[in-house]
Amino acid sequence: MSTAFTPVSHKMSARDVSVAYGDNQAVKNVSIDIDMDKVTAFIGPSGCGKSTFLRTLNRMNDTIPSARVTGEILLDGENIYSADMDVVQLRARVGMVFQKPNPFPKSIFENVAYGPRIHGLATSRADLEAIVERSLKRAGLWEEVKDRLSDSGTALSGGQQQRLCIARAIAVDPEVILMDEPASALDPIATAKIEELIHELRGRYAIVIVTHNMQQAARVSQRTAFFHLGQLVEYGETDNIFTAPRQERTKDYITGRYG
Amino acid sequence: MQRRIRRRYAAERRFRVLGAGAVILSAAFLGFLLFTMVAQGWRGFTTTELALPIDLHAAGFHVERARLNTPAADLALASAGLEDAVENAATSAFGPDGATLIAPSAWTVLRAAVKRDPAILERRTVVRVPASTAFDRALAGEGTPAMKATVARLQRAGMVVRGFNWTFLSESDSTDPVAVGIWGALKGSLLTMAITFLIAFPVGVLSAIYLEEYAPKNRWTDLIEVSINNLAAVPSIIFGLLGLAVFLGTWEIGGRVFGPMLPRSAPLVGGVTLALMIMPVIVIASRNAIKGVPPSIRDAALGIGASPIQVVFHHVLPLAMPGILTGTIIGMARALGETAPLLLIGMRAFIVTPPDGVTDPATVLPVQIFLWSDEVSRGFVEKTSAAILVLLAVLLAMNGLAIYLRNKFETRW
Amino acid sequence: MNGFALCFVILGLGLIGWLTARARALRFDRGGRKRLHSLPAQHGWYAAAWTVLPPLLFLAVWSAISPGMVRQTILRNPAAAQLSDFAFERDSVLAQARAVAENPYAGDVDPLARRLAPLVGATRSRYAWIGTLVAALLAFAAGAYAITRIRPDFRARSQVERTLMMTLLVASLIAILTTLGIFVSLFWESLRFFGHVPITDFLFGTHWSPQVIDAKDPGASLGAVPLFWGTFFIGAVIAMLVAIPFGLMSAVYLTQYASPTTRRWMKPTLEMLAGVPTVVYGYFAALTVAPAMRQFAVLLGDPYASSESALAAGLVMGVMIIPFVSSMADDSLAAVPTAMRDGSLAMGATTSETISKVLVPAALPGVVAGVLLAVSRAIGETMIVVMAASGAATITLNPLESATTVTKQIVDLLTGEAEFDSPKTLAAFALGLTLFVITLLLNIVALRVVKKYREAYE
Repeated sequence: MSTAFTPVSHKMSARDVSVAYGDNQAVKNVSIDIDMDKVTAFIGPSGCGKSTFLRTLNRMNDTIPSARVTGEILLDGENIYSADMDVVQLRARVGMVFQKPNPFPKSIFENVAYGPRIHGLATSRADLEAIVERSLKRAGLWEEVKDRLSDSGTALSGGQQQRLCIARAIAVDPEVILMDEPASALDPIATAKIEELIHELRGRYAIVIVTHNMQQAARVSQRTAFFHLGQLVEYGETDNIFTAPRQERTKDYITGRYG
Repeated sequence: MQRRIRRRYAAERRFRVLGAGAVILSAAFLGFLLFTMVAQGWRGFTTTELALPIDLHAAGFHVERARLNTPAADLALASAGLEDAVENAATSAFGPDGATLIAPSAWTVLRAAVKRDPAILERRTVVRVPASTAFDRALAGEGTPAMKATVARLQRAGMVVRGFNWTFLSESDSTDPVAVGIWGALKGSLLTMAITFLIAFPVGVLSAIYLEEYAPKNRWTDLIEVSINNLAAVPSIIFGLLGLAVFLGTWEIGGRVFGPMLPRSAPLVGGVTLALMIMPVIVIASRNAIKGVPPSIRDAALGIGASPIQVVFHHVLPLAMPGILTGTIIGMARALGETAPLLLIGMRAFIVTPPDGVTDPATVLPVQIFLWSDEVSRGFVEKTSAAILVLLAVLLAMNGLAIYLRNKFETRW
Repeated sequence: MNGFALCFVILGLGLIGWLTARARALRFDRGGRKRLHSLPAQHGWYAAAWTVLPPLLFLAVWSAISPGMVRQTILRNPAAAQLSDFAFERDSVLAQARAVAENPYAGDVDPLARRLAPLVGATRSRYAWIGTLVAALLAFAAGAYAITRIRPDFRARSQVERTLMMTLLVASLIAILTTLGIFVSLFWESLRFFGHVPITDFLFGTHWSPQVIDAKDPGASLGAVPLFWGTFFIGAVIAMLVAIPFGLMSAVYLTQYASPTTRRWMKPTLEMLAGVPTVVYGYFAALTVAPAMRQFAVLLGDPYASSESALAAGLVMGVMIIPFVSSMADDSLAAVPTAMRDGSLAMGATTSETISKVLVPAALPGVVAGVLLAVSRAIGETMIVVMAASGAATITLNPLESATTVTKQIVDLLTGEAEFDSPKTLAAFALGLTLFVITLLLNIVALRVVKKYREAYE
């Protein structure tokens, strides 16, 4: 089930995507379009396939040997599952932030600089420092860490760690950022900061966020997709989904019948 | 009921004492073993020397001064009869059996002294020369009554000097227990361990990476895993048989035709054999260390576009390194103490000159211990125990380093 | 040019390749794209791998086949016509000729070898030059090929990583090769042995005296049953009588009774017993324990007691195995669910009753597996028995008499000066094969038991 939005050329489009782990069909025939300058939220009860589907968008499922993906996913019209797509380049264009903050056990500077280094984005040390500073500023962490860039990233608080991970993701200058329940391990204040950050980042990237928290989806996203039992039940403007869902199942979920 | 409870408590106490007894007895055995080695071995680190007064000029010993600064000095001194001069001096200083009290190598000490200071050719001087094995044994309380009496007489005259045995650390094997040293064997061990490390470490770590990070789940991978687990349990002597059959079988045939003939006691051969033996230890330790790195680190790196190779070499491997190194040190310690496979491939030669390279004939410390333990002469007992003390000290240091590494870098995720 | 220098030169060429390719990649026009597939350094590694690997592979092959080619060339030369037809004699002369070619002052040489020396030297250096030249050409050709392939859209990283992945795979295959090597070499030499001696004589014969082998019926003095018995008696009976009670009780005490401080200090202390090299145990057994055992036997009324008794070797071996049994028992006790222990204690059982009636029975499969592994280690142990046990093969139940083991006999058979393919030396391989198979079976059974046991409590 899909809904077309204007403009017609989308940043990413999934067409009939199914994912199976062995015999277990985790995602069934999902088609969806994702656009620049928008935050798209995936909601649904746990085990509904929303995280699995998110991970197909930058082929993180490749790391699970038994996972099989069918259908096609286009990034700027190019199928990311085609043979000549280099998965490393893909993941540089479609970045990811994980549920639990996972900074490298290295310095804050090294955490952010790692991506630009492996992708050759900086030609000099000054260049690299500029990228690190810009990324930390965009992630709203610069003021807090600028005097201790050589401290370990794991010594930061949970919320700071997660913003560090976001800084690390934007340092490689991605086009799309996937966030897998980025605030679920954080306290309310840290969560608020992350949500604020998502607002600010919206203008530069296409952001997809998976969340089990409907209020959060309502607060941060412009579009919402509701997943249930591996299927995309409904996809539309966030305001419409929360005020006038067209599907019965969506309505049940939003009114708290299950989940 | 009360009596029954008392009986049960008595049984409880007995059981507890039994357990404590087992621990204490086991530890006591270790203590006894170490005590025996120290009690027998400490004397191996000491020398017995005799202060020998000698007047070469009066003895009619002449050698051209000019020749002492040439490479032919040794020859000149020997042909001028220095050895006889020393023996005569011993006889006149210590009595009729004086020549049997000093070590056969005593005159070389004087030769070195003359080369250092030619002036002693002209005047009377006192040189400290090593005592013979018979004298040394008598000093330790094992010898003929006559020799013991001689020892007592010279001790009263203040001519017996005891000191630290630097020779033991700087020399190699010899037929005379007072002249032996462990340097040759130690150097052989060092070269062998270098080969073992250079092969076992990279191969072990790379296979661990492959098996833990990349290997697909299939029959081949299972076969590799089964092989490694079984190799870890194969008795070490079997590796000796493998070494004997493969390395020497093929290399000797090749060598007979044209290649350079590799001696059976080369550190290269022993090192490769031991490398195959400890490789499974390194693989298993490395796999556990790699398994200990949390998957979230891999996700993080993959998520910003690191390739699988970069994930492992930039992140997983550095984080697993302390664990890998700990396992490697333990494996190397095992290789260092290993004797049986090296005996089989023939690393049991009598080595007087320390090896200079991995293709020179050599022996290793444990084999040297084994060879000395087979010697009949009583003088070798204390040397064997002293060599064991050196070996144990090195092993203790290695294990200490492993424990230190483990404690220092142990990370809880 | 010797091999080392040649490898060095090739590595130098690799460095040049690396620098050239990197410089070339640095000058790429990015063509409006934000990022390239591969970094300049990765292009460098690609070129370096191409420059270095083919010549090194070639040299490995060349050094294996060129001696044979040198030999063929020499033998075809008319000057070599006088060489003996007997392979051994001929090879000996050729080896001497080679020594003369390298060092003209070598003494004590066959006159024919001295005449052949220039020919041998010239042929050898000709082939060495051919090898060097081809290696250098390969390095240049392959390096140039790699550098021409470098373009902005060329995926150097994938190529380099594929090569690395192959290296990892090859490294992991070495384990299989080693296992295969052990099996094939033991099996092959054993097969030759069984060509001399019927397998039934070896496995079931009760007389072992390899010093006197009847050439007509070698099987009569190569019956291994006394060795099997001695191995079993020393390793699986005497050693285990020491190791099992001490290991088990130590584990029980340290896990159930000891204070954390005691545990922290005593556990490593016991583990040190496993770290002492076996040659040290052997020396200790021969020098201290064996004479004591002899004294003991004399005291019991046997004035001709052996100073190489089975008891001395077995006792010391048992002590060596204690930490092994103890740590296996420790693991199995730790795997028993705490609920079981609590249940027993809550009923009013004392700690010792809980241990002996609940914990140990529950942990029994793990303990048994540990004992099997300990036995496999004990019967494969060599140095203690080489130094403390006897060489005389007797079947006895008296621990104060002498007994010999498989490992001791392997060492004795192979450290003599016998030629390599006499039944005597080959017998060592047959013994090795038997030992290998038995330890393998013990391990497989033990690992299976452990696995079953772990599954039961998960």
